[in-house]
Amino acid sequence: MPPRRLDPRTILVQSLRGAPSLVFGIPVVLAWSRGEGIALGSLLIGMSVLVAIALISAWLRWYTFTYQILPGQIVIARGLIKRTRRSIPAERIQDVSIKQGPLSRVIGIAEVRIETGGGEADEGRLVSVSLPEAHRLREVIRSIRVGGTGAEASSEDGTAEAEALLFQMGMPRLLFSGVFNFSLVWIAGIFGALQYLEQVLGYGWDRWREVVGVAEQAIQSQLNGMVLLSVAGFAVALGVLAGVTRTVLQNFGFTLTYDDARFRYRRGLLTRSEVVVAKRQIQLGLVERGAVSGGLGWSALKVQTLGGGDQVSGRQELAPFARSHELAPIIALAGLPPFDRSHLKAVSGWHILRGLIGMVVLPTAILLVVSLFYPIAALLLVAMPVMLGVALLRRRRHRYGLAATSLQVTRGVLVRREWTVPYGNVQSVTVRRGPFQRLVGIATVRIDTAGGSGINGPRVHDIEDARAEALVRDLIQRVEALRTSTDTDPA
Amino acid sequence: MAFEPVPLQPLERGYLRVLRIRSALGWLIALAVAVAVDVFLHWRTDISPGFVVGAVGLFGVVSIIFLVPRRWRRWGYAFTDRELHVAYGWFTRVYTVVPVSRVQHIDVSQGPIERSANVATLILHTAGTENSLVALSGISRQRAEDIRDVIRSRISDAPW
Repeated sequence: MPPRRLDPRTILVQSLRGAPSLVFGIPVVLAWSRGEGIALGSLLIGMSVLVAIALISAWLRWYTFTYQILPGQIVIARGLIKRTRRSIPAERIQDVSIKQGPLSRVIGIAEVRIETGGGEADEGRLVSVSLPEAHRLREVIRSIRVGGTGAEASSEDGTAEAEALLFQMGMPRLLFSGVFNFSLVWIAGIFGALQYLEQVLGYGWDRWREVVGVAEQAIQSQLNGMVLLSVAGFAVALGVLAGVTRTVLQNFGFTLTYDDARFRYRRGLLTRSEVVVAKRQIQLGLVERGAVSGGLGWSALKVQTLGGGDQVSGRQELAPFARSHELAPIIALAGLPPFDRSHLKAVSGWHILRGLIGMVVLPTAILLVVSLFYPIAALLLVAMPVMLGVALLRRRRHRYGLAATSLQVTRGVLVRREWTVPYGNVQSVTVRRGPFQRLVGIATVRIDTAGGSGINGPRVHDIEDARAEALVRDLIQRVEALRTSTDTDPA
Repeated sequence: MAFEPVPLQPLERGYLRVLRIRSALGWLIALAVAVAVDVFLHWRTDISPGFVVGAVGLFGVVSIIFLVPRRWRRWGYAFTDRELHVAYGWFTRVYTVVPVSRVQHIDVSQGPIERSANVATLILHTAGTENSLVALSGISRQRAEDIRDVIRSRISDAPW
């Protein structure tokens, strides 16, 4: 195949995308005109010059960017003065992801990303090709990809049908899941403001009472309550609406399919994306249960992958809102063992005390001091009973254990998380002991994995030194045993 | 130091000198700032000159003589042919274990001060995110190279 260029419409889209940055040029123009304004003619000339520059540079970028599919590799060349030629070997290609933003959907082009295990996200990105070309590319790349089963050969445009459908979200479930997506923080904030308002209003009503008279006291207190209730209702409705909107935009038409050791999910209302997660890229599995939805039996399955994906956290959601029995087959296909609670061990009782100090005592003290200067800060004390509950429950909800092929950790009071880290994906183990932890003889064990950020990682907090020692020893031993016994280690 | 799954080795004595020189360089910069502050204070108020410089200098001397050796003593490492253990930290103790099989590549580096003390820094890169590189400073160059060679042979033995 000869080198190809991107779709010519890229020029238009790219220069349109650059248009908002022209706003920064306005002060320059104003400064240049010394505040006297510019004649319409010269303004038009100036604008057309700018537009021309934008178009020409977009055209140059389009003209110099080529991609070429060769036997065994894909070559992407770019740059006018400094030419860059990047070749991606076929065996490193996992699959092809296709993404369409709102504008792209209108004019029928798509962004194609050639997924490789690791590296930068932009590594194999073709900003826009026509949609048929995107599908053709995927077919061609799949056919040259070595390591795929030869039996695949789905040359006709029927890939989606050939794949096994694992999980799908219909509209009712989508809307239902959105209801649980409201932000608790937001609600808390609104209620905090409400309480403040009540004080203000209360003072106002007192004044009114003096003016209007005692007779209407009953009506007023009722009115007050009604105002309060309606504001509260409004806050909840707003939170729910925001949650539903966000969920629908993000997960509209969510479909997860599986074929040839690769998951593929499609989702999105305005920005439609199609993302591929190769099984061997999966570093760990994470099941999340929300505070309310989890209690009703709903959970989300995420996997952490090495490179790729369109989610910032490095975690991909394979099923955003599903029942446990729906998740089980997906987890099995991902090569992860099921989460086995029966083998898990509890952490030290000091975990509660540390939570009490860090989440209740210290914040309360700080808030009290701050509220001496800014009384509004005292409103945040409302959150303290919740924090107290979280602190008291956190030990019960935090357990860990070494299963046959994976480390399993569960943690979290409001949002409950269950991590499954196959031993082959443990990169290093770190034990941290702060001053208080050293004093009482406990330690926190952090397990480092590839591809994810540290927050919400599979950490084991506050276990006794001896147990931490045993955990580290056993864990490392298993990592190494796996290393020497098998030769199909997915690094 | 209650947490010690394997017996740890201290760092080279020579590294203490490296740490002291580095610390001294840092304090020299602080001292230069202190001189400027001193001059400024003396110019604007009637604080006698040498007040800030004296405090900073005293702190620096105390730090170089007493605190740096303390920090040095907190470091420990062990290489067991299968994993590297590194421990450090005074306020928060940190103990990291890197299985050799997880190492992506290895660097041995030696700065000018380190070279004069004949110590080197061994840096292990893993695919992880939080600990993508684990650095062990203050071991002899020979030791660093030995560890590197063992790890390298183990990585190239790898069945893939």
